[in-house]
Amino acid sequence: MDKVNIEICMGTTCFVMGASGFQEITNQIPHKYKDQVDICFKTCLGFCQNNEYNKSPYVVVNGEVISEATLEKIINCIESNKNG
Amino acid sequence: MKSSFFMEIDSFQKKKYNQNAYGDTFVSERFHDEGRLVAVLSDGLSSGIKAGILSQMTACMFLKFISAGRNLQKASETIMNSLPVCRVRKISYATFSAIDCDETGFAKIVEEGNPQFLWIRNNEFLDIEPLKVITSKKFTTRKLNIYEIKLEPEDRLVFCSDGVTQAGLGSMKLKLGLRRQGLIEYLRKELALEPNISSRDLSRKIVDMAEDNECDKLAKDDISAAVLYLRKPRMLMVFTGPPYYADRDQEYAKVLSEYSGKKVVCGGTTANLVARELGVDIETDVLCRHNLPATSKMQGIDLVTEGVLTLTRVEEYLEYPERVKKDPAGMLVEILLNSDCIDFMVGAKLNQAHYDPDLPVELEIRKNIIKKIINLLEKKYIKKVSLRFM
Repeated sequence: MDKVNIEICMGTTCFVMGASGFQEITNQIPHKYKDQVDICFKTCLGFCQNNEYNKSPYVVVNGEVISEATLEKIINCIESNKNG
Repeated sequence: MKSSFFMEIDSFQKKKYNQNAYGDTFVSERFHDEGRLVAVLSDGLSSGIKAGILSQMTACMFLKFISAGRNLQKASETIMNSLPVCRVRKISYATFSAIDCDETGFAKIVEEGNPQFLWIRNNEFLDIEPLKVITSKKFTTRKLNIYEIKLEPEDRLVFCSDGVTQAGLGSMKLKLGLRRQGLIEYLRKELALEPNISSRDLSRKIVDMAEDNECDKLAKDDISAAVLYLRKPRMLMVFTGPPYYADRDQEYAKVLSEYSGKKVVCGGTTANLVARELGVDIETDVLCRHNLPATSKMQGIDLVTEGVLTLTRVEEYLEYPERVKKDPAGMLVEILLNSDCIDFMVGAKLNQAHYDPDLPVELEIRKNIIKKIINLLEKKYIKKVSLRFM
């Protein structure tokens, strides 16, 4: 099965708005998903400069942009991707 | 930035073992418009607070004179004739060595009472004879030695206080102290091992060695050494912030890629811009955990960091070096301090998201923080800095 691709923005705005808390994310996601996700930090995804999106921090899960991302939102998104 | 040669100067000091103030003073200043560097090492009589005040007064007076446009000889004559004599010891209150050097390598040196400087070329110690010796009209025991020399690339000058040459005085190993010859032998050995050693490291080594030679390894006098090293400058370019006009992205990415020296990119958007224009990938380090965003790797770039937060921390570290940690800002500080000429290329485009009232107030404006960093690099760390807004 394909891995869920997670891109986490570590740009200035996202970092101060909460992405700093995602630095340990590899240890925070449930054990059962650990081998099923591919986590990647990004210098800046550029969403904060685009009014179309709501608010930082931004995380992209399999192409879907999550604004005001929290660990809970990310995990929910992984689950929905896994369960189809 | 064009520069024929860079005059790297740095010093290191240790105070007398039972004192809590330094009795020797080293000061230096660059006059960028004229491409000149002036440095003074002054040794105040005795040690502690009194010596510290005397040497600081002497050294700072020198710099004031020179900044006001007086020439070195006139300034030193005035100082030599005006320094008081200690009522108890009947000797001068402070001794000094001063150098005024330009980028072509022409150097004027004056000495009064300090050990004679050393001139090193290809690990050989050159003979130095004063051009003139001026005896003070007021105090006949004071003699001013004046030298005019032409330095060549890779030459070094070493200045020290008598704490170095007299180190170990009276000990079994060095009954007469280290003396000039002992220092020469030490330097010959060190420079053979490390021919490209920086002034910062060499001055520290000299002082440590002198202290090591003292009985019980306790400095019996203030120990100071200053090293001037004329060498090819180590260049660094810091690119931060996207240009105001996006159609010029390519132009600036090219300036960066063609720069001969180390390259640092600060800022996520800036890093993306560089990667896009130069067709390279960015890889962000997932393993590093700090309270700053992680660094990234990009081919051809020595360091890629986040922008404003990291730069704010860099400013703090430059101001308070004792706070430096091994985080992305600490890595950038290390690169900055190991460079001589630093070119800042700063994009003027604002990121609207940074003005969101929900963001912490500490989020500084890039231009301001760069201005503060440049000020510190120039004034505190005597770096040669240029700034260009895009």
